[in-house]
Amino acid sequence: MASPGSVFTDTSEFFSIGPGDEILLGSRRYLVTGEEREYRFGVEDPKFWVKKAVDRETQERKILKLSFAETFMTSLGGVKVRCFRDPVKEGNILKLVGGHPSFMQGFMVRDERDNPVRVLDIVRGVNFLNYVDSFRMPHETYFWNVLPGILRRLVEAYKAIDFLHAHGFRHGDIRNDHIIVARGGGDYVWIDFDYDFEALENPYSLDLFGLGNPLIYAVGKGFHDYYTLKNDTYMYKDLVDHLTMADFSLLHTARLVNLRKLYPYIPTMLNNILLHFSRGANVFYESSQEIIEDLDGYLEYL
Amino acid sequence: MKCSILMAFNDSSSSRSALDFLCRMRPCYAEALVTLLHVLRKPSGSEELMGKKFVESAPARMREKMEKARQKLIDSGFKAENVSIKMIDKPYPTVGEGILEQVAEGPYNMVVIGRKKMSKAEEFVLGDPSIRLVRALEGIAVMVVKQ
Repeated sequence: MASPGSVFTDTSEFFSIGPGDEILLGSRRYLVTGEEREYRFGVEDPKFWVKKAVDRETQERKILKLSFAETFMTSLGGVKVRCFRDPVKEGNILKLVGGHPSFMQGFMVRDERDNPVRVLDIVRGVNFLNYVDSFRMPHETYFWNVLPGILRRLVEAYKAIDFLHAHGFRHGDIRNDHIIVARGGGDYVWIDFDYDFEALENPYSLDLFGLGNPLIYAVGKGFHDYYTLKNDTYMYKDLVDHLTMADFSLLHTARLVNLRKLYPYIPTMLNNILLHFSRGANVFYESSQEIIEDLDGYLEYL
Repeated sequence: MKCSILMAFNDSSSSRSALDFLCRMRPCYAEALVTLLHVLRKPSGSEELMGKKFVESAPARMREKMEKARQKLIDSGFKAENVSIKMIDKPYPTVGEGILEQVAEGPYNMVVIGRKKMSKAEEFVLGDPSIRLVRALEGIAVMVVKQ
């Protein structure tokens, strides 16, 4: 274990690097101030390979993502998919999206041991999950007054993903908390694109499916899962008795996708977009462009 | 064993195209040119884990299987001079993309491809070249044979 205040030129042992230490990357020194944490499902999960830091030269706060080669199998709708972290992919995307307002900004640099380290600007704002949750009003009021604006911003964010795909990159981990709504209700900014997955004949499949999540979440003003539908009879009445398997998500099998059954004022045109992600779907989206076109169509109809 | 074909028909231009194709196919069967095509996909991380030797020996193993397939077609009535083998060394991002590029270099009248049984979720997540071909190809017959 290194003593506090050590200078690291090799970031391989990232558990040993703590607050007060410095990381030297090329000619730049970064003072480590802490570790990033992920908050999911009410659990705080420290990410020891992601350091909060201050650039000694400019005094700017930065995030340093150190190389962490993680690989695992995940099961989605019963399909096993190999997922892994690819820091070099994230570095390449950072280079591609320099100056693009829909992506976090930064660059990749190699440490003394050739580990790829990403030096990232902090994206100030609230994640999409909390943003949508912050609207305290009945769903119908939200649906007609707030959602159209959210969908317009989402379309811009989806165009950014389409831009990645057009350049042969996958985001790899499209989730509601990987979109940051920049302060002031501004741009929707994609973060954390070091994950990747192996889907041999449909290379963008999980990205495409991922794009359904913010959409379903935004339209439903939250997710509506089978367990809650069944047990919260105050809110959902006897809805669960009128649902079939086809109304739920293809891969997240407990998540209600056919939201028109819950909120009948959702126009069929919008609901049909959601149904592409359901178990009842016979046609799936093949590209992000197709989702964008359908959403644009709905927004024009509005 | 006689080959029995079920043709779904209605009064549409697509049905008429299919009927036209069937009419052309019957008399030309023995004369038909058949290209057995194999395209290579960029090896995935999992495949690379199988080892360099395994990956390097894959084309030779495939050629042997294709020779057997060619012989089977000849034994079933196709003329030997009409059945050829084509192995594409250039790795494509997906098998579907590779087939589409080769079809464009044709001319071909029909693409025949097998399709394994898969769930909707598998079809969406993993993808399948037959879906890609059916959606992307135009002006050409696609025969998908399900497992």
